[in-house]
Amino acid sequence: MQEIIKIENVSVRFDHHATQHRSLRTTLSNLAKNRRAEYFEALKDVSFTIDKGETIGLIGRNGAGKSTLLRVIAGVIKPQLGNVIVNPSSRLVPLLELGIGFQAELTGRENCFLAGALMGLSKKQIQAKLDGIIKFAEIGNFMDEAVKTYSSGMYARLAFSLATEIEPDILLLDEILGVGDMFFIRKCTARMQKMIRSGITTIMVSHNLDFLVTQCSRLIWLEHGQIRLQGEPKMVADAYRKLGDQK
Amino acid sequence: MLIHFKNLNWGFLKAYAFTQIKLRYRHTTLGILWNVLEPVLYLGTLSLVFSAINRMELSDYVVYLFSALVPWRYFEATILGVMESIIAGEWLLKKLAISYFIFPLTRWLIAAIDFFCAFAVVLVILAFVKPIWTIHIFILPVSIFITSAAALGIGMLLAVAYTFFRDIKPLATTGLMLTFFSAPILFKADSMPMGSLQSELLVYHPVTYFAALFQKPLYYNCLPSLLDWQVTAGIASVFLGLGIWALHHFTPRFYFYL
Repeated sequence: MQEIIKIENVSVRFDHHATQHRSLRTTLSNLAKNRRAEYFEALKDVSFTIDKGETIGLIGRNGAGKSTLLRVIAGVIKPQLGNVIVNPSSRLVPLLELGIGFQAELTGRENCFLAGALMGLSKKQIQAKLDGIIKFAEIGNFMDEAVKTYSSGMYARLAFSLATEIEPDILLLDEILGVGDMFFIRKCTARMQKMIRSGITTIMVSHNLDFLVTQCSRLIWLEHGQIRLQGEPKMVADAYRKLGDQK
Repeated sequence: MLIHFKNLNWGFLKAYAFTQIKLRYRHTTLGILWNVLEPVLYLGTLSLVFSAINRMELSDYVVYLFSALVPWRYFEATILGVMESIIAGEWLLKKLAISYFIFPLTRWLIAAIDFFCAFAVVLVILAFVKPIWTIHIFILPVSIFITSAAALGIGMLLAVAYTFFRDIKPLATTGLMLTFFSAPILFKADSMPMGSLQSELLVYHPVTYFAALFQKPLYYNCLPSLLDWQVTAGIASVFLGLGIWALHHFTPRFYFYL
């Protein structure tokens, strides 16, 4: 199998000062008092590889580092230690939330062009995909209304439709399927299954263990920023559930 | 460092800048026409008020004022826009791996479009008001280029500082206001008494030289002096270099401060 993502000894830490105090006064006062920075380690020495076509599920409790790991793979966060190597010829689409690149005041159609440009598509390429996007999203005439007037379901359908119509090689999903109603989830699941069968590499974060067990080829369980267990989905999910029962 | 420019998504930069301009006038009756009307109204009001204060003939004062005020407004808008760009780009920068140069450049592009609209209006007005036109105006593209580079560089440096320290914004706004009122834009440098402290200080005022890049070809019908070029090009090179370096150097830390 061809290796598409390699994570080598990745560590990420958040500076409490950076996230809480941004004033010049606090910084100068900290310097004067020689106060040391306080860190929270979101990821500690994480290493693993992902092969082309794999579907990886990331599980763990809140704050375990799942979303941080997705952001590291997406290149949004530069780790302080370690390396992330993503096959440069692969188109990576991070769906860390639905509607990245969307502007509330723009219409659905305008947002498709803007978000498409963000993903590196030309106007012509987006135009060619527009019918497919509208058809999947089922929003009809609303395509020319500002997205701020959409219901959350319509917004989610359009965003998911656009992101998946772009034909990524690597898709990162962060709990996005918890947004819509059951019809939307069923429709998205069907599309994702189709994409998985077509050989796309998917890494998803979800608290829905049953969904992950049925969809993934491997589960990675994160705890306190470290990999606790990884392997065959059912085995990892059972071990995770067991821990939950004990607590 | 050049990798940032190589990896820049120019398609998105262009689409985003034009979207922002379109959104600005979306629910107005006159739409994009405001981009031309707004500077006309602003400059017209300012000309009437300050020609009276400076006791200058309106047609003469209009040429003097417009020649440096419009570039100053562009300079100021670029610096303030670029300064806020990283913080304002949080909605995207925390969710997508995108070059941090995108947002400063988008703000600069928006300011540049506004400037060209206003400058076109000024040239039309001056065509009626100004009695003599000389070939010296063909140097203006170089003046615009140097002014753009300086503003972009200063803006990028402030954008880095503003990301880490939110106190920078009021300081920068006040600094720009002081710079504007102390520079020979609203008043003429030669209206100061010869040898006075004010006229001596103007020699050390950097905006005196930037203003000269526009005032000399448009108002005084001559080319900017070698000193004007040296000072402005020097300032522009230093700040642009520092701005690009700072943005490149501090990029990995931005995520934690947004």
